[in-house]
Amino acid sequence: MFVAGLDAPSPQSPIDAAPTRLPDPFTLLTARLREALLSQRKVSIWQPDKNKSFQVLLVDKDIRFPPRKIGPQDDSQHAVPHSPLSPLTPSSPLYPDGLIAPIWIRKHTTLVPSVFVLFLRLFEFPLHNLRSPLDAPDPDREKDREQEERKRDGELASYVASRKKSTNERNMKLTVVLMASRRMLDDPALDARLTFIRKQSGLDARAALFVLSPVSSSELGDFVQSLQQALYEPAVEYYTSHSKRVRRKRNRHTQAVSSYSNPLSPVGHPGTIRPLRPEGWTVRYEYKMACFAEFRGEDEVALKHYQDAYEVLAVMFGSMSILPPRTKRWAEAKVLADCINIKITKLYLYNNEHSLALSHHTTHIRKFGDLSRGWGIGEETFEYWSWVARQYRILAELLEQGTHSTLSLPSHRPVAYNTALYTSTAQNPSSSRGSTPALETDALRSLGLNPSYALQHPGFYYYMAARCTEMRRERFLIALDAEGVSNSPGFANEKKVDHLVIILELYTKSYELFKKYTPSSQGQSQARLTLWIAYRIGQTYFDSGKFDMAIRFFERIAKTYRRENWDPMLRPLLTTWYACVQQLGDVELSVRLLIEMLGHGVDESEEPETLQDDLLAVLKSTVPSSPDEPFIIDLSGSQPIFDSNVVFWTHEVKVGQPVAFQVSITAPSDVAICELPFMSLSIRFSDDTLPLVLLQHSGAEIDEPSKVTHINLGHISKTGTDVPPTLKTNLRWKQDSTLVLSGTFSSEVPTTLKIEELLLTLTEGTWNIQIPMDPCSYRHKILPTSKWLASLKPLKFINVKRENSSSMIVRHRSHNVLLSLTHHSPACIDEVYPISIEVTNADNRELEVTMDILLQPTEVDDAVNSITLDDEQSSGLIKGISFGVLMPGVSSIKTLNLFNTGGAGDRMIDISIQSRVSSRDDPKEDLSKSDMEDVSEILQTLTVPTVKALKVTYDVAYRRHLDERLGLADLRRFEEDFWDDGEAGEALVTLRLECAGPWALELQKVTLERQNNDGAKVLETSTDMFDEADFSSEYVPGDEFSGLCRISLQGGEQYIPGPGTYLVQWCRIHDDGTRGSTSTSVFPLPSLRLPTDGLVGLLQISPVARLHQALPLTLRICNNHPTRSATCTVHVEPDPSDGFVIAGLRSGRVPILLPGTEEKILWNLIPIECGYIKLPKIKVVDHRKLIINVQGIGESEVEGQAVKIVDVRLDRRRESVIAESNETEQEGGKNTRPPDPENDSEEIWGTVLVLP
Amino acid sequence: MAPIRIHAVAYISANNHPVLIRSFIDNGNALKYHYIAHTALDVIEERVNEAKHPYLGLLYSIDDVAVYAYMTPLNLKIVLALALADAVVPDIKVHTIFKAFHMAYYHAVSNPFLDLDPANPVPLNSPKWKFFTRQLDEICAVVGAGV
Repeated sequence: MFVAGLDAPSPQSPIDAAPTRLPDPFTLLTARLREALLSQRKVSIWQPDKNKSFQVLLVDKDIRFPPRKIGPQDDSQHAVPHSPLSPLTPSSPLYPDGLIAPIWIRKHTTLVPSVFVLFLRLFEFPLHNLRSPLDAPDPDREKDREQEERKRDGELASYVASRKKSTNERNMKLTVVLMASRRMLDDPALDARLTFIRKQSGLDARAALFVLSPVSSSELGDFVQSLQQALYEPAVEYYTSHSKRVRRKRNRHTQAVSSYSNPLSPVGHPGTIRPLRPEGWTVRYEYKMACFAEFRGEDEVALKHYQDAYEVLAVMFGSMSILPPRTKRWAEAKVLADCINIKITKLYLYNNEHSLALSHHTTHIRKFGDLSRGWGIGEETFEYWSWVARQYRILAELLEQGTHSTLSLPSHRPVAYNTALYTSTAQNPSSSRGSTPALETDALRSLGLNPSYALQHPGFYYYMAARCTEMRRERFLIALDAEGVSNSPGFANEKKVDHLVIILELYTKSYELFKKYTPSSQGQSQARLTLWIAYRIGQTYFDSGKFDMAIRFFERIAKTYRRENWDPMLRPLLTTWYACVQQLGDVELSVRLLIEMLGHGVDESEEPETLQDDLLAVLKSTVPSSPDEPFIIDLSGSQPIFDSNVVFWTHEVKVGQPVAFQVSITAPSDVAICELPFMSLSIRFSDDTLPLVLLQHSGAEIDEPSKVTHINLGHISKTGTDVPPTLKTNLRWKQDSTLVLSGTFSSEVPTTLKIEELLLTLTEGTWNIQIPMDPCSYRHKILPTSKWLASLKPLKFINVKRENSSSMIVRHRSHNVLLSLTHHSPACIDEVYPISIEVTNADNRELEVTMDILLQPTEVDDAVNSITLDDEQSSGLIKGISFGVLMPGVSSIKTLNLFNTGGAGDRMIDISIQSRVSSRDDPKEDLSKSDMEDVSEILQTLTVPTVKALKVTYDVAYRRHLDERLGLADLRRFEEDFWDDGEAGEALVTLRLECAGPWALELQKVTLERQNNDGAKVLETSTDMFDEADFSSEYVPGDEFSGLCRISLQGGEQYIPGPGTYLVQWCRIHDDGTRGSTSTSVFPLPSLRLPTDGLVGLLQISPVARLHQALPLTLRICNNHPTRSATCTVHVEPDPSDGFVIAGLRSGRVPILLPGTEEKILWNLIPIECGYIKLPKIKVVDHRKLIINVQGIGESEVEGQAVKIVDVRLDRRRESVIAESNETEQEGGKNTRPPDPENDSEEIWGTVLVLP
Repeated sequence: MAPIRIHAVAYISANNHPVLIRSFIDNGNALKYHYIAHTALDVIEERVNEAKHPYLGLLYSIDDVAVYAYMTPLNLKIVLALALADAVVPDIKVHTIFKAFHMAYYHAVSNPFLDLDPANPVPLNSPKWKFFTRQLDEICAVVGAGV
């Protein structure tokens, strides 16, 4: 867009400089407009965004556009006029066969606009001051004004019309912006005036006339926006029409290509003027269309046209006849190709098609590289490399520009990469990726990518450009040596180029970009890539002779390379560094570097003596800066010169014991150091109390040609008296030769001994160089197996395959303390179990002994165990039991008592005996450091199996009550101490104690401690009948003791806790007959369970009778049912075989029995036989309707049911209880078996013994 | 598909020390691959933080090689320099090559007679690696043959 009429006010103008207080609003408006318009669109390389903004150029109002077409003046019959830039115009620079010139682009970017905006002032009649508002408007004045306005508007319109004519010629849009004051906008006459002006000037109806009054800058911005909005379409149209025109021409051209062989060239001049070939025209038109498309912002179209142009151009290059190499047109075309290439690349990148962009670029380089070979500027020429470097540089610059704004670089890490993808892509490519929109690209990515098309950050391309420039320089230097083609203009040009400056510039740019793109991993950013570039920069500085700069780079780089052990890379770096230092004359640094380089060795191509000779030469020819102080070269972190190793014969020794060691120092095999004047070697130990061992050099020649030299250092100890005062040896190492130093040393305190440092001193003239060395360091980091020199002749080594063979531990001697434990296993429950602990000092030192005992928690349930020693009792740990100071040979005994309850099982006791050397003799000596204290410890774990001494079994039998029950309403029932045993009866509990353990026991006392409760009371017990003396009897394992007790039960509760506890006092009888301590075991009575029955008959009869004497038989029918009453009938069924004559009720009905009542029926029996006579049969039937579900038949009612009759003489309902030791009562309940109902239902009547 | 040409392979220990760098192209310019292996560590460190898979993909392409990397579970890094050619290099193929190299190393260090300090394995040119380097050459030959 051209904008005219916004000339900056010229300050020189005297009119403008007139003293006006306020700046003219229009001047201000103009200035603001200029500002706003110019800021619309900056021309830059990277402009992917497409907003409707214009590139604005401010021009003069009366600017003249370059001539559109000029007809050939001389030849008027050629009616077709051509553009002055056309190859068809003889005056054109392209005449006759040029393709397109940069001036064409310039024409369209700066000389010919698509839109022309003209800013003009609308005439405004000067405002005259109205004297008063009441004044009638002056008609004369109005008339004047109208006339003046009309005249001025007419002038304006005609001016615009003239401009319109010139723009119309070129199909440009002309837009006029009239600037008028705000007052004018409100003037009703304005519309008419505007219409007049537009009609007069012939402006378009649409978007061609604007009126603007002085407004604020923000409003101005809006105006500029809307102006552009309105003009965008015409501008696009303008370029579209251009495109159309060009396309028409191209089409015409391609159709006419056959007849277009040579229309312009006269027959007489073949070859002199060769017009542009059809291919050339195609390139020209495609290029133009591409440019126009780009102006329109249609990137895809532009890309297409550029590609077409590029392709045709490539075809042209392919043919020598179309574009003869090394001509002017050829060079132009080459530049054009490069330009198109970069345009294509850029357009691809706009579209984020990174790989296509890079692919095009690489293809371009390759294609033209191939072509270059044909043109004789192949890879061996500097021209080629200069060109490639330029291509890379352009790409890098483009990318850099792009990344500054919108371009984002792709990451090449494998996306969504997993093994599942492998399998799934084969069968179903879409399944694994789900709903990823970029399915296509993703599928491609999963397959892999083409590394040459993987776009990287611009640093890489700068790097490439630098590398290419290096190649260019190389080729140039070769050419310079040859000097054969010095007359060629290209070579002369090349001579003026300072390659190194370019290389440096490129590398520096690359370095900065690499630095920028270095992953900012927090913590340690190694930035090895930048280091590498830095190395190249350093190298370039070195090449260009800026050694001080180079050194700074090398110093930094070497640090990382050393740390990460990249020695092969370090060696060339050191060599260059050394070369720099040599140039700078820094002697000390040279020496330092040379010594470091000794460690790295030399290349195979070089002589092994090179470094040594260099070093010696430096040392001999120079003096150190401070000759008095030794010059220390610390090689830590870099490769050592020697392979050195320290081997100790044993890993561990006791205090005061000597230990043998060997230090081996092996010279490198690939570099010679035999001339280096090492004067001494000193060995420093980690223990500061040990003296420094110093070895002096003696010139004595070693007579034997052995590779190994052995020196004995003697014994080294704190006093150091054994060390020979001056040890001398030959300190010149031949290649691969070894010096072995052996010796012994000892320590008086426990410590870890190793050799801290070897220090080599190198003396030459005033130089005194000290090289400290790690005693265990290897060149190339190979860890050899440690070897012990066994003998020199023949040479024999023993491999020491121990870890940490280069350090050794000195320990105290362990104390000889004996611990013995005496006890009689197994222990019994409830027993105090003595364990005697005997500690004997078998050492020859006085020892102070203390003991800790830990009783480990046992897994046995409910076991409460404790240990007692002296006065201390604990269920866990007893600490710090002192045995005092034991003299040598003295022993001390303590008895530990273990008390166990609960179940049987193992009990574990940890015993720890600590002994320390009694420091009586030197109490002031500070032994506070725990590692220095001479303490040793014995640990022993004791397992005590624990068994039960007594096994307990209870038998419980229940009997029904024999006495008559009290009636329900009997007053005695309500007395306080009434014991209602009528329902429940009594229980007989039999205790059986069995001596279970492996030990014989002595039972001292068995008593039943009564614990009567509401449900039960002990009536009598058999144990009460014995005196204590009666118990004193020995029970060997398997022997049993029995006791019986009778317990009366009271009805009501189902379960009754046992009403007493058996206390058993016993002691162990040892094998030798002695008795152990008395223990008491507690066995509670089992809990009792009341048997219940409903209606029952109890038969009472004397077991013995006299013949013919009446014997009473009583049957009590008790209704123990809690709720039901009972109606019973009694039947005696005499049998002729009965041995009795029965007197009494034969058959009868018993009164109704309420719950809890009983009825007694009496018979008299007279025995008529002797012997055991069976009782007659008596039946009691409960007349109660009972519904029995008879199988198959259904329900049937049975009248009456037999009531069980129990012979009370045989009334036992048994249960057996195996009481565990220390059982709680609840458990006792659990273990009891309930009375067996099967046995219960059986009616067993006893017999009666009838005696004569 | 065109066979992949391997220029060099580099094994780098867990603490970034070079273990073995072997170049298969015969102009003795192994030093260049030292630099490449060393610089590759930068990108490896960056990628490892995110990636869970041992195969780290294309790190970068420079000069005439494309640099790929792989990291074993024990943090041994394998860096591969492939000849830059105008063809898509399938990740699966590179991954397979890496696995072959990994297995070769694995078998080599599994040798009970090879006395190794795991933190600082025996570097190149040691005769102990003779079999190993021969295996590497074989892998390279097989890959180069386009199998």
